[in-house]
Amino acid sequence: MDDALILRGARRCSAGKFLAWLAPWAALLGVGGFAILQCLVRGLNQTNMDNRFAFGLWIFLDLTVIALGAGAFFTGFLLYILRREELRAVINSAVVIGFICYSGAILVLMVDVGQPLRAWFTFWHPNVHSMLTEVTFCITCYLTVLAIEYLPILLKNRQLRKIPSFLVFEFELHKVMPVFAAVGAFLSFFHQGSLGGLYGVLRGRPFAFREGISIWPSTFFLFIVSAVATGPAFVLLTTWLVSKLSGKRLVKPEVFELLGRISGWLLVFYVGLKSLDTLVWLNRTAPGVGANPGQFFAAQPFGIWMLFVEIVLFGAAPALIFLSRRGRAGTGWLLAASFLACAGVATNRLVMTIQTLVVPTLKFEPYALYWPSWQEVATFLAVIAYGVILYSLSFRYLRLFPQERELQRG
Amino acid sequence: MFPGIYGFAWDAGHIIFLGVFYTVVAVVVTTLVRAAVRARADVKAGRIEELRWHAAFAELPSSSRRCRHELSGEVADRACENRFDCRDCAAHAEFVAKRSAAVRALPGGQTVAGFELPAGRLYHRGHTWVAEAPGGTLWVGLDDLGAHLVGAPDELDLPPVGARLAGNGTAWRVRKNGISIRVLAPVDGEVVAVGGPDLGWYLRILPDGGEPDVRNLLSAAEARPWLLREVERMQIALADEAVGAALADGGAPVEDLSKVISPRELDEVCGMVFLEP
Repeated sequence: MDDALILRGARRCSAGKFLAWLAPWAALLGVGGFAILQCLVRGLNQTNMDNRFAFGLWIFLDLTVIALGAGAFFTGFLLYILRREELRAVINSAVVIGFICYSGAILVLMVDVGQPLRAWFTFWHPNVHSMLTEVTFCITCYLTVLAIEYLPILLKNRQLRKIPSFLVFEFELHKVMPVFAAVGAFLSFFHQGSLGGLYGVLRGRPFAFREGISIWPSTFFLFIVSAVATGPAFVLLTTWLVSKLSGKRLVKPEVFELLGRISGWLLVFYVGLKSLDTLVWLNRTAPGVGANPGQFFAAQPFGIWMLFVEIVLFGAAPALIFLSRRGRAGTGWLLAASFLACAGVATNRLVMTIQTLVVPTLKFEPYALYWPSWQEVATFLAVIAYGVILYSLSFRYLRLFPQERELQRG
Repeated sequence: MFPGIYGFAWDAGHIIFLGVFYTVVAVVVTTLVRAAVRARADVKAGRIEELRWHAAFAELPSSSRRCRHELSGEVADRACENRFDCRDCAAHAEFVAKRSAAVRALPGGQTVAGFELPAGRLYHRGHTWVAEAPGGTLWVGLDDLGAHLVGAPDELDLPPVGARLAGNGTAWRVRKNGISIRVLAPVDGEVVAVGGPDLGWYLRILPDGGEPDVRNLLSAAEARPWLLREVERMQIALADEAVGAALADGGAPVEDLSKVISPRELDEVCGMVFLEP
């Protein structure tokens, strides 16, 4: 039915099977759309956020997908600027994943902030002293850059490339991709940092407050390093997942091995920085603002085990697997390490978003827990469904993995 | 955002932050506009066919981009970086100069894996051939493998007499079993006559400048190892997935392959053989 749209030589399932795969995700997207509508029409009283929990599931989701989406800019940086040609095998997929992550994050932000028709206000009257303003500007610019990077992939579709002006425009766009890769790296670097810096400057929240260099708290740097460390791992994980679901070999094993090695070295650097930061925070920063560090981990389920899980299990362990030759040689180990690394960045963002608010700042305040409402969960799941649908369509009709055809011929 | 708007102040924060932001926006917009302007200039300059081949070549798998000198055994491992245009390749001239007697003595013509490879013709990597015709013109046709693959075309879209062809640009199009196949032009020139599969040739071309530059074409001797490799690649592509890669050790190719393979397989193999990924 849709054979004319599928790339020459790419073997895809039947249109019926593909629609059956999309149906449940579309249903999830529909439910999420209804929840989003409720929040936009009735307001944030549809959520379980309140004055204490001004950040909830949505901000956790935003921070996590933006960190995981770092694979797009970092892969582009390694390929176009540092000329790691092996990564050409995954760059298209990384760009699509990045586009999904950032557009999904902006969709959720639109619901969270509310009044999307007034979004222009942020740009017209920016508060240049706010980390969030920098994040807003950078994310908007970077989503535009990602859309431009997505364009040549889209224009390579079998039918679109028949249009001469599209073919030529795609060719010319491809030539200037290094410029967009450099701009993307610059923007991502700063907004990943500013998202972390946002927590580090919260003087009233000793759990999050950090010292740093000049106006940048340590969390500014930790967010950047953690994002670039897990971005390649997420690209590895999604490539393997797509390969399993489609039953096709998509990239050569050397590409997995390289992604693992890059992630491994960066994770080592991150775990070192994070450990140092934690020690300084527990022994100097927190006591310096009159907080007892022991209290930070007094509320269940956010015990001290969370710190161990984040740094050791989800940080040091995957780093060691990635860096061991034997670990990289086995697909199982590589995948386990990638999963742990991605879980690590999600845990870090959960801790910074939720645990920061769980810990009381005044003596008479109790520890408080937050559970999202169904509207929040449905919106969260809608973003996942949106991502799966867009990626599935891209995989079916666009060339996400240039090595696929060669590998399928053995 | 701008001077004069409520909230704006001429302080370091505004100047640095907005200055960086406007620089980024300017770089993104300028780069995008530059790409659009260059694309428009390319269309106006008639570079569409050249860029179509440029893009297609870049997408070919490495097994399709092997250098002709690797196929003839003159070098162990070399991928073509010149879009099969040996006219601009410095290494090609060196290889030809150093060509050993053994390579020069390679037999030409005859049959390769059941496909005819007549001597006296020059072969293009896109499975067309060129032969001298009267009046300084050239015959252009599909080689035997290409002809077996397409069989009797359902539809033939030949360029009109007087049309100009660019080497590695589209020479003509064939439709078969609902699949559109683009055939590459082996040389630059002007179409002076059109034929078809029944005549044994498709086009008669008057080469640019009178004397054709055929350095990009393979002699019949050079074409032998290349064609053998092409047949092997085709067999591997058509192999049953359950069986895996397999090569025939005898027999003759069927006259019209398109009748015995599925449209999907035909599409895939045509893309591979006619260099249109």
